[in-house]
Amino acid sequence: MPRINFCGSPEHAVDRRAFLGAAAGATLAADMTAINALAAPEVNGELRKNQKRVILLWLAGGASQLETWDPKPGAPTGGPFRAIKTDVPGVAISELMPKMAQRMKTTCIIRGLNTKNGDHGSAAQIMMRGRRDEATLKYPDLGAVLAREMGRADSKVPDYVTFYTQTEGRNMAPGSPGFLGARYAPMELTTNNIPEFIRKLDSIDELDHHERAHLRELLSKQFARGRTSETLNSQNEAYERVRGIMASEKLFDITQEPQTVRDRYGPTQFAEQTLIARRLVEAGVPFVRVGRAWWDSHGQNFETHQEMVPELDHVLATLIDDLAERGLSDDVMVLTLAEFGRTPTINPSLGRDHFASAWSMTITGCGIKGGAVYGKTDPKGNTVVAEEVDAGSLFATIYAALGINPHKNYYVGSRPVPLVNPGIEPIKAVLK
Amino acid sequence: MKPNPVQQVGVTPIPNHTFPTTRTMPAPHPDTIQQLKDLQRPVIYFAVARLADSDQIYLGGSDFKVCSADLGAAKFEPKELYSHQSYVTGIALAGLNLVSGGYDGQLIWCDVETGQIIRTIPAHSKWIRKVVASPDGKLVASVADDMVCRIWDAQTGQLVHELRGHKEQTPQHFGSMLHAVAFSPDGKLLATGDKVAHVVIWDVASGQQLGSVDAPIMYTWDKVQRLHSIGGVRSLAFSPDGKHLAVGGTGKIGNIDHLEAKSRIEVFDWKAGKQLAEFVSDKQGIVNRLEWSACGSWLVGAGGAGEGFLLFYDVAARKALRQDKLPMHTHDFHLSADGTELICVGHNRITVHRLGRVH
Repeated sequence: MPRINFCGSPEHAVDRRAFLGAAAGATLAADMTAINALAAPEVNGELRKNQKRVILLWLAGGASQLETWDPKPGAPTGGPFRAIKTDVPGVAISELMPKMAQRMKTTCIIRGLNTKNGDHGSAAQIMMRGRRDEATLKYPDLGAVLAREMGRADSKVPDYVTFYTQTEGRNMAPGSPGFLGARYAPMELTTNNIPEFIRKLDSIDELDHHERAHLRELLSKQFARGRTSETLNSQNEAYERVRGIMASEKLFDITQEPQTVRDRYGPTQFAEQTLIARRLVEAGVPFVRVGRAWWDSHGQNFETHQEMVPELDHVLATLIDDLAERGLSDDVMVLTLAEFGRTPTINPSLGRDHFASAWSMTITGCGIKGGAVYGKTDPKGNTVVAEEVDAGSLFATIYAALGINPHKNYYVGSRPVPLVNPGIEPIKAVLK
Repeated sequence: MKPNPVQQVGVTPIPNHTFPTTRTMPAPHPDTIQQLKDLQRPVIYFAVARLADSDQIYLGGSDFKVCSADLGAAKFEPKELYSHQSYVTGIALAGLNLVSGGYDGQLIWCDVETGQIIRTIPAHSKWIRKVVASPDGKLVASVADDMVCRIWDAQTGQLVHELRGHKEQTPQHFGSMLHAVAFSPDGKLLATGDKVAHVVIWDVASGQQLGSVDAPIMYTWDKVQRLHSIGGVRSLAFSPDGKHLAVGGTGKIGNIDHLEAKSRIEVFDWKAGKQLAEFVSDKQGIVNRLEWSACGSWLVGAGGAGEGFLLFYDVAARKALRQDKLPMHTHDFHLSADGTELICVGHNRITVHRLGRVH
């Protein structure tokens, strides 16, 4: 939403957010003026996007496009696995993904990624932020932007949660709010599936816990009389959020799910974290990243993918089915993405190395055309020969599908900073 | 080939145990090994077989083809016999029957005299890892990721036994793989080895399980850093008397992405279920192929990672004889019955070696 008269101050920059928080509240429904205001297309867009959620399955280390979404069977670079037909005529994927082959009508494959960076750390930053940082400006990543755009001020749940339990590559792909600041930093789970340090101390009973909160509120109100301060508001909001997050612990507890649902996702850590991600988005968390490391198959690429792709296939297919059965397909976007793909050339260790020139990712749900395939690579998979996509246009597409104007500006001081770099456009061919 | 000085790297001797050797005639000795040929082709070769007492070899590789080639010819020109639908990972010669298996799950019988395909059998529901023939040429065994070893009549193609002794899933709930299979020299025993480094020894006549051993270090499951594994038992070889079983793979991995682990061989008294020796090489990678010399005085292993290696061990003395670098990651070799000729195949290369007898 453009800010025509925005002064650039951080205090005013949160006004829209405060408005949205109020707009989503019950009081708005009784106010006809406000309802009329919702008729404006851009405000409808804001409300629509507020219903959207995103789960990013982050394939850390770089999964091979040739063993997943863009197989080249029979080519010298193709490896041993066959391609199998899918439920979309003319579209084939690796035989390691039989479950997704039956669900490609739900999912868009972007096969034309050329992101030009084959270094784990800097490539991960680009693929999480949609662009390279400037020397003096650190951009927020996708999760932080969506937390800001789709989170709600009165939310009782965190806005941005990321799982990355393995140690390899974790420091190369941290969640980062960039210039948006710590408010949009992720809740990072790195040791187990339930956040640490959010439980009330055992030494404090429930009554004491509530009384302490009431006392703090009383003191805060007394202090606030006659004062206007964003800092004060922020302080109060932080306490509200902490209490909400403390209450959200059960969302991370998969024993709350029926055993049949848990069995359906499966017993692996990736499966369990993806199930938690579904619980979180269902409860209103705008963005959850499930990091699944480590795909960096310089040695034994085929056996690595034989081990890991069937798990991805099963978990992704189960998530898509689960979201559909819950009526969430139009509201929850599921992404599979990594920092890069893998070389078509097979090295002496039967491995594939880093490759950012022609690789693939997928988008499922929300405003994306299921069954679409965008981008084409040559017969050996070395280059993109049609419909090339860079990180910026991928992010513009994701934003547009979620109802967010990719050209809207944030302000760093008085400098307008658009969500994607100038000149970058969404891929209209994959948008509904 | 650049031989390294003899080193006793990582050899763990087990006291008070002797390995039988047969020394009725001067044995070929690894110290005399010479590389005769280094042939380059744009194919990753996974399997080789050799027609006895000839220069005729058969190759299977990443081009999906089974080829024949004459190593004695002035120009090395493999000729295609037929194709699979994926990588060819196992080749066995049973008399004049060539039997090949691949990632397409099929076994193909070919008459090497006529070059005609005799039969094609959809032998396994998943990727075939290895195919071997019994020493008398009457049986062929295949292992695949459906975790079944199937024994076939080499002449008729009839299924003789289905051996099921390996779990389909790893303890971490991932699909397992059945990598290795080997007959004992007398053909009475068969060993199979899987991804989690479980090895089963079978009675060939009855198809009954006789015992099992485990080499858990070879599994390489990494639950902290990377949450996957790339190890497993990749090679097996019985001693000439069938009492001992050598198991090859890789060891504890420093960097799983690059196969940065020292190659590993463990030797078991399989009846007792007891490890007798372990050999940790200073060469990195996986031991893809093992064979005991007919005289029993040494064990040879080959494999690799980014580079290849050839390892010779005196198991009785529990010492490394040689650890040589090969020009390619080696996936298979053929050792002649008298132990004097070794043909290695692997990443884009075929090398031929000769061992001399030492009096």
